[in-house]
Amino acid sequence: MPIAAIETFALSKQFGDTRALQNLDFQVDAGEVVGCLGPNGAGKTTLIRLLLGLIVPTSGRAQIFGLDTQRNTVEAHRRLAYVASEAGLWPTLTGAETLHLLGQVQGQVDVAYRDVLIERFDLDVSKKVRALSKGNRQKIILVAAMMTRADLLILDEPTSGLDPLMEQAFRLCMSEAMERGQSVLLSSHILSEVEALCNRIAILRTGVLVEMGTMAEMRHLSALTVEATFDGDVPDVTGVPGVSMVTVQGPVLRCQVRGPVEPLVNVLANSGVRELLSREPSLEELFLSHYGAATNEEDSVSTAG
Amino acid sequence: MSVLPVEGNVQLPRTSRLFTGTVIARFTGRRVVRSGIGWGLVFGLYVATQALAYSTSYKTIAARRLLMREFGSNVGISAIVGPALRIDTVPGFTAWKCLTVLAITGAVWGILTSTKLTRGEEDAGRWELLLTGNATRRGSAVQALGAFGAGLCALLITTAAISIVVGHSSKVRISASGAIYFAIAIVAAAAIFLTLGALCGQLSSTRRQAAGVASALLGASYALRMVADSGPSLAWLRWATPLGWVEEMKPLTTPNPFALIPILVTVVVFGAMTVYLAGRRDIGSSVLPDRSSSKPRLHFLNGPLGLELRLTRSTLLAWAASIIAYGLILGSIAKSGGKIITSSPSLRLVFARLGATGAQAYLGFAILIMAVAFSFVASGMISAARSEESSGQLDSLLARPLSRVSWLGGRILQAVGTLVIGGIFVGLSTWVGAASDHAGVSFSSMLGAGLNTLPPALLLLGLGAMVFGLVPRWAVAFTYAILVWSLLVEITGGIVNVNHWILDTSDFHQMTPAPSMPIDWTTNGVMIALGVVTASIGVAAFRRRDLKGE
Repeated sequence: MPIAAIETFALSKQFGDTRALQNLDFQVDAGEVVGCLGPNGAGKTTLIRLLLGLIVPTSGRAQIFGLDTQRNTVEAHRRLAYVASEAGLWPTLTGAETLHLLGQVQGQVDVAYRDVLIERFDLDVSKKVRALSKGNRQKIILVAAMMTRADLLILDEPTSGLDPLMEQAFRLCMSEAMERGQSVLLSSHILSEVEALCNRIAILRTGVLVEMGTMAEMRHLSALTVEATFDGDVPDVTGVPGVSMVTVQGPVLRCQVRGPVEPLVNVLANSGVRELLSREPSLEELFLSHYGAATNEEDSVSTAG
Repeated sequence: MSVLPVEGNVQLPRTSRLFTGTVIARFTGRRVVRSGIGWGLVFGLYVATQALAYSTSYKTIAARRLLMREFGSNVGISAIVGPALRIDTVPGFTAWKCLTVLAITGAVWGILTSTKLTRGEEDAGRWELLLTGNATRRGSAVQALGAFGAGLCALLITTAAISIVVGHSSKVRISASGAIYFAIAIVAAAAIFLTLGALCGQLSSTRRQAAGVASALLGASYALRMVADSGPSLAWLRWATPLGWVEEMKPLTTPNPFALIPILVTVVVFGAMTVYLAGRRDIGSSVLPDRSSSKPRLHFLNGPLGLELRLTRSTLLAWAASIIAYGLILGSIAKSGGKIITSSPSLRLVFARLGATGAQAYLGFAILIMAVAFSFVASGMISAARSEESSGQLDSLLARPLSRVSWLGGRILQAVGTLVIGGIFVGLSTWVGAASDHAGVSFSSMLGAGLNTLPPALLLLGLGAMVFGLVPRWAVAFTYAILVWSLLVEITGGIVNVNHWILDTSDFHQMTPAPSMPIDWTTNGVMIALGVVTASIGVAAFRRRDLKGE
């Protein structure tokens, strides 16, 4: 059996009184793309910083391709590339200079692919980082990570600040990485992104791994939030199959639907509905419906340290 | 699911609306006034110790006349701390000992405070938050300047109040109006450089750059004043430099309030320019041509050390230039400066026994100030390392195949290298200056003297690195605290009798004034060894700790 790209053993991290991560046993196999989902403060960034050896576990340990993240940090880092959710770059360097520097430190760059990526992300590398928007800075660190063709990509909310067009470019990069057999750990709080890209999903909540499985196993998570406005009386939909989380505010009805929407649509259509909106629920809403409300205190666990 | 409060039901307290227009003034004012009072206390106490120490050390008129003869017309001394006018009186001596020292301290305070509270806050994005209210950019600059005015008043009032109280003492006898005028002269430099810092904040694109430009101007101002005070034929040059104007105010001796005119004009002009420029640029941008794009220059950018060189190269060059300029000026006035020693029979004997000439003796003491400058460089390097960590830039490096030991160790070695080169520059340029004046100082002794100024900075670097490794969030404050503490101990220790245990806590206290005395290699060795040990502890601790943000 090949060595796992990432393996953690009862990995825990405590900041002062807050338990940012508790007893995490988790594995990403070689060539696998795993999504890590969770609301803000769930411990995603803590997990990633532990995997990178930027912070030290309170207990437990982690391995990258069998290399201990604390003892063999440098060797482990030769096998991986990392994209932070917020780019810590040098304002006075240009994009090209930044990519050169980071490539030198990494020691391994596919120059041709780098140029493809610069083109694809429409990046003006002659501009100084200071003059770039958040999205453009994010592109630089994305290119810096992808151009290494590292065996493992660790991505912490990599698309934050990117516009939809660039998200498409990112997804293309991801599929290229998958074709090459690179492993990926993708942390996100955008369900659709993870859904589209990942083989397996890990769900973190207040520092605990609550679920882990394939997308099919997680199907029960996908739901639709429906908001309907009525001219007359608001109908009672609580008994309709698949409907939950019903709230009524004046003429407006809000609820969530899982599975086929037909029964709900039928009820609404017969009740004089004036406006109908539906969208994918936010991760927070999903968590609320699935795992119950976390107390605010637990929610605001610090991850940055 | 709970129902959110409807918009109309939300009522902000009325006061918060009333005051949003002054939020920057209050935010900045609170901090600058607090700091102004703190430094006013330091200034006032410094004035008090100088005045009281003089009145107890030089009791008789004869003793005071002798002091006047020895120091009164010495060019070497006046170049460094300003001309000694009427130092046979308590007020005259107090003014001489305090004015230049406190004016420079005030100027540094002004630069650091204003660049931090304007450009620094803007860089950190906090002004952006405050400005989303109803303040305009120009309005916010006015508010910040108003806050600085309040801070200056706090500094002035505190300094003046203590001076007045001390002046009342029967031993000192300084009139209240004299004390107030004196305090104004002391604070004048702070006022100029506070507004200069604000102006540079508008011109530059980062706090670092703003502070760098303003500091360079302060250095130039000091160098010009040094030249002006090194000979009567050059005295007119005093009118060309802000520190010269402060000196021309001649407090407590022959007051010349006309010197206040250029000071006030400068403050007003700088202030007006600041406000004008603030309205002309976008937040986060700068007025000076700041090319937002350029061709890649890749030399140096092959690793963390090259990166650091690349980022600090202009600062390093400026430092090297000012170190060399200082050394040249010092060397070229060494011979005349040394006359003070040869004119004093007792001192001459002491130095003759050590085999030192007047010039050597003078250089031995004058060069010690470089130890302070180098210690500032060392503190700056600790603070740069820490800000690289807190800004997340270090994450970008250490998430790659780069070990923590080689990063921090490399940074420390790089700092040591920079300091050693600085020490060599000091020795070299002083020797060149002295040789041009045939002061009879050997090259090797000056090289040794230059390197002799390094151990305190090296020890401070080690201590800073240790705290950086152990408690990163304290590292910067700790390093500067040691530096300021050592300076205070040295300043007060020279005047009043201080317990030697306290003196020993000063980083600078173990230095010998080479080349007037032989270099104490044992002590230097111990300090360097301590630096190595503490730095190693720092590196070892840094290996096993979390990287931490702000």
